[in-house]
Amino acid sequence: MTIYIESMKMYLKSLLEYKKSFIMSFISQFFVFFTYYFMIIALFDKFDNIKGYTKYEVLLCFSIIQFGYSLIEIFGRGIDQFDKLIIRGEFDRLLLRPKNILLQVLCTDFDLIKIPRILQSIIILIISLVKLQTNLDIYKITTLVLMLLSSAILFLSIFILMASYCFITVQGLEVRNLFTDGGKHMAQYPISIFNKTFIFIFTFIIPYAFVNYYPLLYIIGKTTNKLYIISPLITFLYLIPALLSFKWGIKKYTSVGS
Amino acid sequence: MSFINVNHINKTFKVAKRRSGLKAALKSFFKREYQYIEAVKDISFQIEKGEIVGYIGPNGAGKSTTIKILSGILVPDSGTCTINGMTPWKDRKKYVSNIGVVFGQRSQLWWDIPAEDTFDLLKDIYNLNDEEYLKTKNNLIKMLDIEEVIKIPVRQLSLGQRMRCEIAASLIHNPSILFLDEPTIGLDAISKKVVRDFIKKINKELKTTVILTTHDMSDIEALAKRIILIGKGRILYDGTLKNLKEKYGNTRHILVNTNNTIKNITKKGIIKQEKVDSGYLFEIDTNIISISSFLKYLSDIVSIEDVDIDTENIDNIIIKLYKDFEI
Repeated sequence: MTIYIESMKMYLKSLLEYKKSFIMSFISQFFVFFTYYFMIIALFDKFDNIKGYTKYEVLLCFSIIQFGYSLIEIFGRGIDQFDKLIIRGEFDRLLLRPKNILLQVLCTDFDLIKIPRILQSIIILIISLVKLQTNLDIYKITTLVLMLLSSAILFLSIFILMASYCFITVQGLEVRNLFTDGGKHMAQYPISIFNKTFIFIFTFIIPYAFVNYYPLLYIIGKTTNKLYIISPLITFLYLIPALLSFKWGIKKYTSVGS
Repeated sequence: MSFINVNHINKTFKVAKRRSGLKAALKSFFKREYQYIEAVKDISFQIEKGEIVGYIGPNGAGKSTTIKILSGILVPDSGTCTINGMTPWKDRKKYVSNIGVVFGQRSQLWWDIPAEDTFDLLKDIYNLNDEEYLKTKNNLIKMLDIEEVIKIPVRQLSLGQRMRCEIAASLIHNPSILFLDEPTIGLDAISKKVVRDFIKKINKELKTTVILTTHDMSDIEALAKRIILIGKGRILYDGTLKNLKEKYGNTRHILVNTNNTIKNITKKGIIKQEKVDSGYLFEIDTNIISISSFLKYLSDIVSIEDVDIDTENIDNIIIKLYKDFEI
């Protein structure tokens, strides 16, 4: 863990070497988030609800997905940019150091400029909860915390899976945008507004539904089944195949090389 | 058992075959052909603790592949390798804490910040305690003369300064084996000397075993008593530099300037005679005919205005070796 924090300090030092660029990107990233937000607001200017979901229910969903995605984009950028490590041959260097490989990969890059996004997400989350007049009991708070956690865990798993793919080939990496960016945009809405194929994909292939749909039903009072509270835990299991495939990738890399 | 034992190592890479042209590109888009390249074939050698070994060979001979196998980055298809009682690709974490690797063409320093910060990070990566870290660091700074250099952002350093920092970074954990992959590539004469003197010094003082690959034969002459020559994935020569010189360094080129014309001379010991712009170029075998008796013989026939005798050059020996082995 020390090396993760130390690497982050190093990253910050390099970032501060370029002052103007730092300030500009900070400001622009701050506003980029609002464009996402206004897209949803604009939608609800026209419609009262989408398949029965109101503005603040959708915003609640949006904020949870944004929270997880930003968190991993900021602190897991190394794994997101993994293809570059492979292409530049820098991955070899990591194999020469006596620390866990995945941890070292995470240490290679950060995106601290997006930190405000986390706060922005939390603010929208709170506004939505207030507007929805949710009476937060211990069950609902637990559900919320699990939702936020599982959102981050799910994106981390997807990023690791995509990094494992780089061990096979670094070609056709656009595919990953389908799962990360594309998935993120769709998961900003409650899954049930989509058609059956998407619901199937987002339940069984990439379990977005367990992040923001099943637990959401409990929070907004569409169900009282207590099982929905712990449904986000399913995504934690998703980390297992992700980690295994990464391990398999390292093995393949060392036996194939270059 | 030796410190480093390499036995019958083989490694084959599968590479996609591509021909030029759009048609070929389209064809390979649908059906890709692969070609197998044997990077190293049946490589075996032993190295004792405290040796400096020069690992040489032309580009693509398999030098880097061998270094990668020895440092645990690659796993060979077959063969065994024990270094310091460990197999590099097993026990990775334990093994790598004991080796240092410098890739001359790749940097391990953070680009935008001073090298000293990278050293501090490496301290945490290798779990060094403050005392031993400071001791090693100060020692390295002194030996490599980088006191001021490590306080400047790496991107502003000259190549020579950066390479010295790279070497320091690779040795900050005090490893007992040092792999250097082309450490002097692109350096000026002074930086080269600093690097060489440093390698000699740590080898002598800390008994660090050094394996270095290079294309610069003066590196080898300055550092390594023993060389391993590799070509097309096979070991072609393993022995002292002195033996190699004795075996292959017996021919000399002599350029003779004269206004007379020299007809083809047939004399024992003269391997080749050639007319060039500035005179005649002879290649002689010094084991059969000495330089002085050759010149004496020649001056009896023609009047010599000037002679130019090439110095015994390891580069020439290597070129000759490459030719002999057809690599």
